[in-house]
Amino acid sequence: MHLSMWSMASTILAIGLLGSPGLCRAANNCPWINEATVSGLLGGMATTTITETGANGTIICEFTQQSGSFKRVFRLTMEVTSEAHAKLVSLASSCRTDALPLRAIGNEALACTITDLKSGQGERVIGRVRDQLFTIVIYTTLKNDPSFTRETVKTRIDTAAELVAGNLF
Amino acid sequence: MRAVSNELAFTFCLLLAGGLLVPALAQQNASIPAPPPAYTPLPNGVAPVKDTPTQREALEKWKIKAETMVEEERHQYNALVTPSYNYRFGQNNPYSPGNITVEGNGFLQPESFPSAEYCGTCHQEAFSQWRQALHSNSFRTPFYRTSVNLLINDKTRGIAYSRHCDSCHNPIGVLSGALTEDSKVDRSEFDSDGLTCMTCHSVISVDSTNGNGNVKMGVPSVIVDEKGERIPGIVPFDMILKHPERHSKAVMHDFLHTPEFCSACHKANLPASLNNYKFIRAFTTYDEWQQSKFAQRNPLTFYTAEFTTCQNCHMKRNANALPDYGAKNGTFASHRWLAGNTAVPYYYGFDEQLNKTIEFLRAGNYLNVDIFALRKADSVPLIAPLGKVSFILFPSEDIEAFVVVQNKNIGHSLIPEVRDLYEAWLEFIVKDASGKEVYHSGFLKPDGMLDTRTHSFTNRPVNDQGEFVDNHKVWTIHSVAYDNTVQAGRSVLVRYRFRLPADAQGTYTVTARVNYRHFRQSYLDNVLGKDHPAYPVVEVAAKTRVLKIGENHPETEDPADNPEWMRWNNLGIALLDQFQYQESIQAFANVVKLRPSYADGYINIGLTDLVWEKFESARKAIRKALALDPKSARAIYYDGLLQRRAGNTERELSDFRTVVEMFPQSRDARRELGIFYYRQHEYDLAVEQFEALQMIDPDDLAAHYNLSILYRRMGKPKKAAEQQSMFSDKKADPGAPTYSLDYLHAHPEITIESIPWHLHSDQ
Repeated sequence: MHLSMWSMASTILAIGLLGSPGLCRAANNCPWINEATVSGLLGGMATTTITETGANGTIICEFTQQSGSFKRVFRLTMEVTSEAHAKLVSLASSCRTDALPLRAIGNEALACTITDLKSGQGERVIGRVRDQLFTIVIYTTLKNDPSFTRETVKTRIDTAAELVAGNLF
Repeated sequence: MRAVSNELAFTFCLLLAGGLLVPALAQQNASIPAPPPAYTPLPNGVAPVKDTPTQREALEKWKIKAETMVEEERHQYNALVTPSYNYRFGQNNPYSPGNITVEGNGFLQPESFPSAEYCGTCHQEAFSQWRQALHSNSFRTPFYRTSVNLLINDKTRGIAYSRHCDSCHNPIGVLSGALTEDSKVDRSEFDSDGLTCMTCHSVISVDSTNGNGNVKMGVPSVIVDEKGERIPGIVPFDMILKHPERHSKAVMHDFLHTPEFCSACHKANLPASLNNYKFIRAFTTYDEWQQSKFAQRNPLTFYTAEFTTCQNCHMKRNANALPDYGAKNGTFASHRWLAGNTAVPYYYGFDEQLNKTIEFLRAGNYLNVDIFALRKADSVPLIAPLGKVSFILFPSEDIEAFVVVQNKNIGHSLIPEVRDLYEAWLEFIVKDASGKEVYHSGFLKPDGMLDTRTHSFTNRPVNDQGEFVDNHKVWTIHSVAYDNTVQAGRSVLVRYRFRLPADAQGTYTVTARVNYRHFRQSYLDNVLGKDHPAYPVVEVAAKTRVLKIGENHPETEDPADNPEWMRWNNLGIALLDQFQYQESIQAFANVVKLRPSYADGYINIGLTDLVWEKFESARKAIRKALALDPKSARAIYYDGLLQRRAGNTERELSDFRTVVEMFPQSRDARRELGIFYYRQHEYDLAVEQFEALQMIDPDDLAAHYNLSILYRRMGKPKKAAEQQSMFSDKKADPGAPTYSLDYLHAHPEITIESIPWHLHSDQ
């Protein structure tokens, strides 16, 4: 990014001084990623729902950013299982085409595009830290969401996966 | 959202709409930025262009605006973060138990740190190296996270305590107030970058060498104005390229080139506020350097060398492959900080960093391995030095091999930091001509664990239950069961006994090699579970000798070997450290026989006699050394100790004063001169020495002890109490060895490692 000195000065200053996702108000209830961080990843204020399901203690942290008629969602599912690797492989089979291994996320991780959304687009990461299996899904319900391109979401979900895996170590 | 001026809010919205606020998310292999903006450096000697009045006025406006906005931002940020922040260590100690501090009031918003990508636009070589280096990965690696997560999840501690570790591993997290239970901070942009460019390059002072992140962070600034005043925030590249000297003034402080800067994080202790016990030294890499020959501050080193800093070894200049406007004459100071960590590049797949790390470990002539001598069972004379003498071997003989490992050119110990996690060890193998092993120590078992009877250069910290602190829960450490490091410039002797087969014939190869692995297998298992791939083992140094059944004759000298006098000298040093004084003196006697004009040979004899309390012999040797080299500060220092012993106070004073004049940063000379003045009731002069000693080593116990008494006698009770308190806190717990004994009793297989003079054998 090469900017001429004075014409773009205020632009740069604004990026530096105002681009502050750190200022999102947040409640920190999900143990592996906080609301402020997810809000930054979703591009706006998100609200959190934590659910514990099943006998195996699976926990789901769901963060939703409602924006008029559409929403952006970040969902983290975490479970502890002695069959973590096998389950990861099994979950990966739900990725229809393009499950790509992610290097240096937990013990192992895969990423793929969500293909079963009625509208909008999203990405999924399935990963493992020892016997802890996690799935992250990020999607938008807005078709052709301009700030949620596939590449953008891929980058964001990689970051999220690294943060979550980091907290699981 | 915040209250901002309408004009800037509008700009902000435009940017948001344009997608320019998409976080610059760090990735494992972040791509290199686009080509840098055009820049032609000024020819040497040409003064930078002065600003026109209009430019000056515009810059002044920019500065005022930037300062106002950063301050306003910071105020608003603090209003959000402060209410829920856990001030576990008091309102005035928001970053404790770490020692980091920050300019101005309150937490610093993460966005005030320009991103690495911003810096990388013009510093592409630095960026690409940094991305693979330990500094950029200081927080996110599983190896660190596993450890710090244990602290965060500890029931009686929690995330507030992790500020101790993260002052160095994630300073933006600490200074932004992110490390609290109910964090309001978006961590997506700084956790992945660890020590980003603008953490080191925003430090404005290093006021002591206490470590634990002991720096003062400035509000990040990439440029100063004509008056040298810092302008916060990022600026357009044109502004920097027009005045690179102002950029340099903002980000390149002189202290960045000093070992004291490195001390901020390469020295650490475990304070009582962390462990609820007492001050315990964690690692002291800076001090080790300061005491090494490379610092030229310590007259008592066994060898001498050119002055060499941390940066000289770990930031060597290389030709840059990518454009970097910080390069000088086509070379750039490495931002890879090559050292010993192979695990992090291996985990991330940073092959270039991994290969260069291995190359670094192997290339430095850092260690010398010498298969120095053999001794036949029950036979006193050594067959030494091997390669220089003739001898005969017979089948069925029990042979003792003396292997001397010299820390020759490392400016700190082997292993310098977290000795409980990293693993360096001596492997020793004897094979017959067909390759069949006769003896093998230091092998990896099928599960990746190192054979427990191996001689390793590690330590074993234990908790108050006498259990090994296997998972780096440093806050539980109460004692160290053994510590087998090799300090800079010193040597260690490792002895092995093996039996030649009854049908032995032909030749046998004997190999000794120092291997290095990040991390210990059990720690890797802690982090990754047992199903992880094998992590790299690097051979750092090795030596092989061929033994013949029958007659062996002197061999042609290997150019990689130390000269014969030095081989004896290293043996003498190792024996001295293992309390084998008589044998040590015999070794040093061979040094002076081979090199009669070498004053240090006599000093070594004198030192050994002194430690052995054979003062007359010591005097004789030191006198001989002084006759050879009257200006030897090392000889003069030991002469001072001997003069004290003899009651010659004037000579004692003269000796220590001379050494202090020659080596003003000698801890030992300052300490002894202080003690001299104390004993002479010269309190002011004694205080002067002990205060100077504390400037060199803030943890010196003698300084704390003596100053506490001196201040009290001089009517300064508050200062006396401070020193007394520090002395009590830092002094070793006399009960701590019982924890070590409990551990050693429970682990007889490694008990010998706690005894300096020990033998490794299968028999």
